[in-house]
Amino acid sequence: MPGELVTIITSPEPAVRNRSLDAFCRAASRDELLQEAAALEAFRRQSGNLYERVRALLFLYSIHRFHLPGKAGVTARSLIPFHGYTHLLQRRFEEAVTAFLKTQQAEGPSDAISSALAAAYYKLAIQTLADQVRRSVRSVRGNQWMFRMGHPADHPLRLRPELLKRNGDGTYPILRESTPVRMDLTHCGWSDIFFLGMDYPEGAKVLNVSIDLGVRGRDATTRPPVETCLRVIDEPVLRLTSVDLGATADITHLAEVFDFAKDYLGLLKAAVIASGIVPPGVEGSGQSLADLLARIVAPGHGLELVSNVNGIPKGSRLAVSTNLLASMISLCMRATRQAASLTGPLEEEERRLVLARAILGEWLGGSGGGWQDSGGVWPGMKLIEGMFATEGDAEFGVSRGRLMPQHRILDQKDASSATRQKLQDSLVLVHGGMAQNVGPILEMVTEKYLLRSEAEWQARSGMLNILEEILDALRRGDVAAIGRATTRNFFGPIQTIIPWATNLFTETLIHRVQEAFGADFLGFWMLGGMSGGGMGFIFNPARKAEAQQRLQEIMSAARRELQHALPFAMEPVVYDFTINERGTFAELLSGEAVLMPAGYYTLHAPSLLKQDRNTLSPLRRTELDKFGAACRARPELRGMVQTLFDAMLPRGKAETSGDKSLEALLQEYGFDRAQHEHIRAELQEGRIGLAQNRLPPSAVIEEVKPGDVTDATDWPGSGASFPPGMPPQTGTPTQRVAGTDASRRLAPLGMDALKRGEVAVVTLAAGAGSRWTQGAGVVKALHPFCKLGGRHRTFLETHLAKSRRVSRQAGAWLPHIFTTSYLSHEPTREFLSRQNNYAYEGEVLLSPGRFIGLRLVPTARDLRFAWEELPQQLLDEQAQKVRESLHAALINWARNAGEASDYTDNLPLQCLHPVGHWYEVPNLLRNGVLTRLLTHQPQLKYLMLHNIDTLGADVDPALLGHHIESGACLTFEVIQRRIEDRGGGLARVNGRVRLVEGLAMPREELEFALSYYNSNTCWIDVDKLLAAFGLSRNDMLAAEQGGGEKITAAVRALAAKMPTYITLKEVKKRWGHGQEDVFPVCQFEKLWVDMSSLPEVDTRFAVVPRLRGQQLKDQAQLDGWLRDGSAAYVESLCEWE
Amino acid sequence: MNIRKAVITAAGQSQRTLPLQTLVDRDGQTKSALMILLEEALHAGVEEIGLVIGPGDRDAFRAAAGGHAKRLHFIEQSEPLGYGHAVLCAQAFTQEEPFLLLVGDHLYVAKGPKACARQLVEIAAAESCSVSAVQATHESKLPYYGAVGARRLQGQAGLYQVDQVIEKPTPTIAEQKLIVPGLRAGHYLCFFGMHVLTPSVMSLLEAMMRQADGGVHLSNALAQTAELERYLAAELAGRRYDIGVPYGLLTAQLALALNGQDRAEVLANLVELLAQS
Repeated sequence: MPGELVTIITSPEPAVRNRSLDAFCRAASRDELLQEAAALEAFRRQSGNLYERVRALLFLYSIHRFHLPGKAGVTARSLIPFHGYTHLLQRRFEEAVTAFLKTQQAEGPSDAISSALAAAYYKLAIQTLADQVRRSVRSVRGNQWMFRMGHPADHPLRLRPELLKRNGDGTYPILRESTPVRMDLTHCGWSDIFFLGMDYPEGAKVLNVSIDLGVRGRDATTRPPVETCLRVIDEPVLRLTSVDLGATADITHLAEVFDFAKDYLGLLKAAVIASGIVPPGVEGSGQSLADLLARIVAPGHGLELVSNVNGIPKGSRLAVSTNLLASMISLCMRATRQAASLTGPLEEEERRLVLARAILGEWLGGSGGGWQDSGGVWPGMKLIEGMFATEGDAEFGVSRGRLMPQHRILDQKDASSATRQKLQDSLVLVHGGMAQNVGPILEMVTEKYLLRSEAEWQARSGMLNILEEILDALRRGDVAAIGRATTRNFFGPIQTIIPWATNLFTETLIHRVQEAFGADFLGFWMLGGMSGGGMGFIFNPARKAEAQQRLQEIMSAARRELQHALPFAMEPVVYDFTINERGTFAELLSGEAVLMPAGYYTLHAPSLLKQDRNTLSPLRRTELDKFGAACRARPELRGMVQTLFDAMLPRGKAETSGDKSLEALLQEYGFDRAQHEHIRAELQEGRIGLAQNRLPPSAVIEEVKPGDVTDATDWPGSGASFPPGMPPQTGTPTQRVAGTDASRRLAPLGMDALKRGEVAVVTLAAGAGSRWTQGAGVVKALHPFCKLGGRHRTFLETHLAKSRRVSRQAGAWLPHIFTTSYLSHEPTREFLSRQNNYAYEGEVLLSPGRFIGLRLVPTARDLRFAWEELPQQLLDEQAQKVRESLHAALINWARNAGEASDYTDNLPLQCLHPVGHWYEVPNLLRNGVLTRLLTHQPQLKYLMLHNIDTLGADVDPALLGHHIESGACLTFEVIQRRIEDRGGGLARVNGRVRLVEGLAMPREELEFALSYYNSNTCWIDVDKLLAAFGLSRNDMLAAEQGGGEKITAAVRALAAKMPTYITLKEVKKRWGHGQEDVFPVCQFEKLWVDMSSLPEVDTRFAVVPRLRGQQLKDQAQLDGWLRDGSAAYVESLCEWE
Repeated sequence: MNIRKAVITAAGQSQRTLPLQTLVDRDGQTKSALMILLEEALHAGVEEIGLVIGPGDRDAFRAAAGGHAKRLHFIEQSEPLGYGHAVLCAQAFTQEEPFLLLVGDHLYVAKGPKACARQLVEIAAAESCSVSAVQATHESKLPYYGAVGARRLQGQAGLYQVDQVIEKPTPTIAEQKLIVPGLRAGHYLCFFGMHVLTPSVMSLLEAMMRQADGGVHLSNALAQTAELERYLAAELAGRRYDIGVPYGLLTAQLALALNGQDRAEVLANLVELLAQS
């Protein structure tokens, strides 16, 4: 008999089909859920229907991620089979599922196995979707032949004769395509994600507008932001130039065309492939590019392609890159007779083919947006809708909808010219300056759609009504109504589906604009995947000019306030825009005066001028002569000589940089040059490195024994009372369940110590939070990461709110210390001062860092070790190819930049690094913070040290009591491992119980034999710790009178016993208009967990519940964190005021 | 429908000397290519042949036609305005009659006893409509031919109802518009260089010529024919040989010889050549 959940999936009745999984699972018991899971597993294996398979997979994911772990009878402790994990990394998801299910069968359901199954089911679902989209793209008629063609002799395309007809001076004409970008007037719930359109075509609707842009204050008029050019050249190469990215390359081999990440020309290469000039079928054929070009163009000839984006910054949410890709594809198709007209607009059928090819190009490049993104190819305003698959479609019988949507261009009845003008006069389009990765959001949307979570499903239905409302308002010419609808959409359905679509920056802007303009502010409008980048503000037309001016000021001010808290890639800008009524459009520029865009010459002319004129091809010589003549005659090229001069003889950095130099910063933060040189020498000689971080292979690493840890997983107040998926209804801590005997005995001990003022909290906030913003260099502690208690809260505020609650319970205020570094100290100090310490009544102290490192260019050896020897998650086929190409490019970069040389090619602050959290405690000793605490509060005996991202950690009286009673120097909190908990664990190493860092594990699989993972929350007995350093309270107090050398010597002596790890971190380098590159850099660190390896330090371990010990490392974790009850648990620990 | 007339075009710049080349026919006789082509038409039951030639070529063609010259009507195409125009030049000759159309630079070798032209004429006579001979062609050859989009006629092997005609399509367009069920992947029905056309095609060409700035393509007129009247495509039992391409004449000669009475001798010579090379 099919399970109830299978019935939900297969039912033709919308009322049943759209039922929520959560509602069913909440009421089900463990065994009922297991039965349903078994039925779903059997069903998804036999179903041939894509939609059914994927929905069943996501149901299974959700059961294991959110529901089963919270049910009575599911054990917490279990080991995940390593071979299953290996399957997962190798993308053998089916085998991984089989391995995990076998363990579940043998050992019963557990939290750990459910986490592994959830990961495998989720990845399998996304992979199944990606495979289907790929199949559909390939099967679109007009694309299929490109996958069959494998030899240049079979190439069926020929260049149009017009392009081969030389100008009088021998040069060839230029075909130029100008393409607008698109904006999404409705934001219809990300419904243009391919799978949504293919499963729910009736709900996939977008109102999409093609626009020309100009940057306010820079450009005199608006124009299509995207421009692409093609011409014949007299060399058998593909010459690709991206003017906006400042990159150019002569491609001579077919294999280079498929090497996407080698340079910044990946998008142009994708266009060359997707347009059929170098069809995907020839990849790996080993044939000659020159032969292929001879066939298409003429023997001995090649093609030159140039892209130019009119200074529109990345992250504009206007789909600039997709429209650039589409523009280039259209250009190449016209040139090779695949479009009827060489010039002018495209026919509807041709636009559809450009869309299909752009989808293919995005897939080739390892990226992918939605199907509305190529909207700039179409003219004006259009309604884009999903279509049901019918007989004859490749998708028929596989999915309900087609891959390709339908476009209906709005006419005058739908939106009159007057209405369009009114819209232009009311809307202020901006780029807020934030650059964020939208990828995780698109996966979240897909997942939530398939799970039909109640609130999200209602929101989705609500969005369709808002679309109708906007269409109606357009018919009536009522722009104010549009503003009301888009605002309601943003604060209602959009955030119900994805709470992360908003952020503090956006809401600050909306609030301030509201204050400044009152009733003349007609509405806010979010563009694209998330806010903070491209956004729209609608005003009374009479005040638009003023609003543009004011909005620039408001954005710049808000950015200054939040620049250390949120990742900004650039200064905010305000655009001028107009609706483009002709869509993509091509012109053939012939005659002797014809030139490429001016920026093209800035890139090419310097290298040509440096070459011997006789070595240049005749066409390049002519081109240079033409350009020289134009510079003298054309007013728009007047500054070109100076620009060229600058390009050939770059100015020194000192001339332009107003910030502190790297050298000054190193001096200021106590950089140890001798130690740095020592590390460099060791790295260069291969004595240290990623491989050398590991413990010797002979080390015996085993699972701990039952008596090695204290099990505090069922102690009240330590996260035990809110099982995953079942957040409390009221969230008040007083309602938590009664505890065990041990905790009842220990809690008063801890509470008494709290009352006596014997405790302080140390929050580790010195790190750069590399994973949180992929190395953007913002201060994680200041990131307003989530709405808790109705407002966006920073990590800082959340930790203080927990201390506030505990302090009030104890009746004594906990001192709260935040450790800081060169990167975080000043912003944190300034932020706390502005927020008045969030009105925390106890002492709030900053403990500034006293150690600093200078990043190094990594060695090729370490890069290869990280990417080739350590287990890596394989990516989807094409994305993996792109990643491998990028890795090859980065290894090349490391070699060229100098392995183990100083990393200095970035902002000075991005070249420095904190040296690991082991130093945070010695910092307390050296910077006087501990001395001050001991002076003001001599009764202080204990510290609770924890990571900034361990949000569930608070000063729990029972755990404190346990630490006091044990008499230990240190008590580390550990949690039971889930599949995502990678990086070492608690082990017996050669018989001694200690924490082992992931970097030190000799073999990957050893970690999978360890049940416990380090939460990095550590209780410290101050006196015993000082003793471990060979110090006492008196030494600390004496330090105030000048006894600092003893402390310094003590720290140095203990530091020498701590292992030094070499790590690779990602660092962003920003350039151009919001462009970012991520580089791997090498740094070293010492870690606090290694204190547990010292025999002279009495260290204990307590197992705490997951909600208390889990860390929030990655923004992609936020959604699950909110849904699985973690956020509610943290809220229950906080008192915000 | 009775097909009494044929038109052979030989006025193209690259075609003007090709029909004058000499080959040995299947019967072992040495003939000009033109003569072989004329015999192909005559075997199909055609009585009169209009030969469209370039200015000044009449004598050479008359000589090459040998004993068939008396059946010929020479028609001069005064300026090179495309293949459609060349056909239209024969309008006065065909008048209101259907006609067999052949290109002067192709030779045909039938698989069976019935010549290709005869097969085509019989189909056209039976179906009473325009019929173009077609051949399944790989997409890499699309830049050289006109191609048709068509549906198979139930119960009539090798016969198709034509819906679309496109001259030298790209595979991108062919895949969208010209896919014919039953053909191998990447293959399309391309023209064979042989058609039977009704007089309405001449009228369409005439109308198009009046509007055109330069030349006209026959394919465009055939595309309109498909919209206006029943128009079929037929796969014939035979092969065509384009004698205008490099080694085209040699290939055609070999094909003729290997299908003729001297097959054994030619084959032996070929084997010997291969063994020595």
